[in-house]
Amino acid sequence: MRGAKSAKWVAIAAVVALGATACGGGGDTGNSGKGKSDGVVSVEIGQPQNTLVPSNTYETEGGQVIHALFTGLTKIDSSNKIVNDEAQSITTKDNKVWTIKLKPGYTFHNGEQVTAQSYVDAWNYGADQTNAQQTNALFSHIQGYSDLNPGAKKTVKVHTMSGLKAVSADTLQVTLTNPFSAFPTQLSFTGFVPLPKAFFKDPKGFGKKPIGNGPYEAKTSFVDNEGISLTKYAKFPEASQYKVKGINFKVYSNQDTAYKDLVAGNLDVLPVIPTSGLATYKKDLPGHNIDVPEGAVGFIGFPLKYNKAFANPKIRQAISMSIDRNIISSKVFLGARTPADDYVSPLIDGYRKGACGESCTYNPTKAKQLFKEAGGLPGNSLEIGYNADGDHKVWVEAVANQIQKALGVKVTAKPFEQFQSILNDLGAKKYQGAFRMGWQMDYPNMEDFLRPIFSKDAINNGSNYAGYTNPQFEKLLTEGDQGATAADAIKKYQAADDVLLKDLPYIPVYFYRLNTGFSNKISSMNLIAHQIDWTSVKLG
Amino acid sequence: MGRFVVRRVLQAIPVLIGVTFLIYCLVFLLPGDPIRALMGEKQDPHLALVLRARYHLDDPLVLQYWHYISGVFRGDLGTTYTGRSISDIVAQRFPITLKLALTAFGFEAVIGILAGILSALKRGKFLDNVVFIATLFLISIPVFVLGNVLQLELGVKFKLTPVAGIEDGWPASYVLPGLVLAATSMAYIARLTRTSMIESVRSDYVRTAIAKGLPRRRVIGVHALRNSLIPVVTFLGMDLGSLMGGAIITERVFNLPGIGGQLAQSVSLREGPVVVGLVTLLILIYLVANLVVDVLYAVLDPRIRYE
Repeated sequence: MRGAKSAKWVAIAAVVALGATACGGGGDTGNSGKGKSDGVVSVEIGQPQNTLVPSNTYETEGGQVIHALFTGLTKIDSSNKIVNDEAQSITTKDNKVWTIKLKPGYTFHNGEQVTAQSYVDAWNYGADQTNAQQTNALFSHIQGYSDLNPGAKKTVKVHTMSGLKAVSADTLQVTLTNPFSAFPTQLSFTGFVPLPKAFFKDPKGFGKKPIGNGPYEAKTSFVDNEGISLTKYAKFPEASQYKVKGINFKVYSNQDTAYKDLVAGNLDVLPVIPTSGLATYKKDLPGHNIDVPEGAVGFIGFPLKYNKAFANPKIRQAISMSIDRNIISSKVFLGARTPADDYVSPLIDGYRKGACGESCTYNPTKAKQLFKEAGGLPGNSLEIGYNADGDHKVWVEAVANQIQKALGVKVTAKPFEQFQSILNDLGAKKYQGAFRMGWQMDYPNMEDFLRPIFSKDAINNGSNYAGYTNPQFEKLLTEGDQGATAADAIKKYQAADDVLLKDLPYIPVYFYRLNTGFSNKISSMNLIAHQIDWTSVKLG
Repeated sequence: MGRFVVRRVLQAIPVLIGVTFLIYCLVFLLPGDPIRALMGEKQDPHLALVLRARYHLDDPLVLQYWHYISGVFRGDLGTTYTGRSISDIVAQRFPITLKLALTAFGFEAVIGILAGILSALKRGKFLDNVVFIATLFLISIPVFVLGNVLQLELGVKFKLTPVAGIEDGWPASYVLPGLVLAATSMAYIARLTRTSMIESVRSDYVRTAIAKGLPRRRVIGVHALRNSLIPVVTFLGMDLGSLMGGAIITERVFNLPGIGGQLAQSVSLREGPVVVGLVTLLILIYLVANLVVDVLYAVLDPRIRYE
């Protein structure tokens, strides 16, 4: 930016004159690739969908900011285990009634004490349909959730869930509708953080400049499409573990541009390297890149609920076996994906390497044989729908070619404008073909890879777009929820997973990997569940 | 002249109302559902119903338009389906677009017209050929190629300009995007000016002016140029409108949060109220630019009268 320096004073005058709001403080930190002493790092995010209210943030961009501003009851540690965060202890006898004791000493950034009531109020707000919060469905395990969600165009009469009780200032009692062993895991999601009283007075203003209870506090208000600056909250009990003094979240509408800014030294962290940079990022950013598995899976799905052509599991198995997952991962995605061999991500406790076995192994001969046995597909053709607004064209076409070659059917990759166009056609039972689908976890538990995609309930409040149902699967899922220990729960969930692997309602194709790059200002850092682990960020 | 301006302003009113309704209908007719678009790959049908009811999405078109337009008359442009105020969006993005468009406009007007005049005066000479090749080059390169290449070379490699964003304010952050945005039109203007200028230089009144002994500078600068500017001004006026709304690619490449990017995003999210609000604004600009062009005609050529 040397050449621009002389112009800068003019620029400032012009900006002031025009009354434009520059991202506060962003101007000086963004450019100082060499200014290591200030301890402030800049991070790329996309424009968050909603204002920064935790229960209304169900996407990774705003989630990144919320994660730095707030602390929840539990968190995921670097080995992807759930550990207590703001909770001193979480106890239960039956996985149904949970008693949560809070650690002392946590305050909101305005000085207000974090109490059990802060959690109760926040969760009631999130679950109440009047507030139409994006994470609404996450609260559905709590007793009394249905009273707050009577349905569209009906007025909510009760605004508190009967299952939530602040027994004392530091003790929270939660009663669930049914036993649910993964509850503490769920609590690590940013939708479950507490809210201060100030929020309820002015949710709108709060959304622009949130008052959290986490390691960083908002220094500026969030400016749409520009970003927000955070600074370390000195009164945070574990503040000494955080080396980074401040964070500037910078909004980019285009990740390719962000990548150039990272290479030029104007940006410090790019959480997800765009496809265009995948081939070169390890060379462009030597020693400053991360390549780790992510809690997300890519599938090919079928409209099982109304197209009988796919009813025979053998057909789905044949299709699955004609996909060469290694080629897709290494050639199409340049290593940014790994071949899927389970419904559950390798990150998760309970993942079994090779669980899918033969069904997910490339074997064109056997595939063809199975396909013939099952009677093939009507018209000897298959369509695979994908949304053209994402990065899906190339791999779906590659998969289509592989299936066509292996099974001798005509396979076409059918572009839809957006993912929801596929959903619309599925909802209207108009689209008969297969479709691509992806799932990114909300919390690291096997349950989150099973229930939201394949359970009967998920047809109405989740992502079961295939309309798959299997009573045996439902039963094992419930048994997993009731598991006395984490190990028991996993065993049952694995049994449920086995049912899916036998049925193959969706074909698992690949596991996502997280490819991150950071600047020379940072010497090392980690991501946990696609969020930056700020305690791990060391400045160089 | 005064009456002409008033008449034109009055004409603009039905145009505006008609256009808002038309755009609203068009967005309404687009396939797809804004609430589903909002939720992406993780759908919650229960919540979707709640949101649909909140934003009157299940009402018939006319009723929906009524909800919208009655709000507009109360001075409320409405909100997006994520609850952001549209007035805020406009207030925030418009200055950026305006700065970018005017920067680009400045480039194309100054450089384009100058290059055109020079190449007309040196017709067939070296300079003319340089301008010819340069304009050919600019016209044939797609904007995103030009943008990305300049960004990589000047921004990433030589660090002469900011790579992206508006943090450095005007002009630093806007020079390169403005230049890229102006490139094609600049070339057209250079050629247009050249052709038009060559024509006027050959015309009788210029010969007369030279014959009566006027200095060359005055002949070229006033007599010839003024007459040859009419088609150029028309082009410039039209172009201002498209510079405002059509900078989507440039905005994306340089990460400038302007109107174009918002418009593209809102169309893909089916956010009717936002699209209508922004398009109305663009139409207003277009109408004003056209009016200014018409008035300028009379200034440039006194024979043109509007009474």
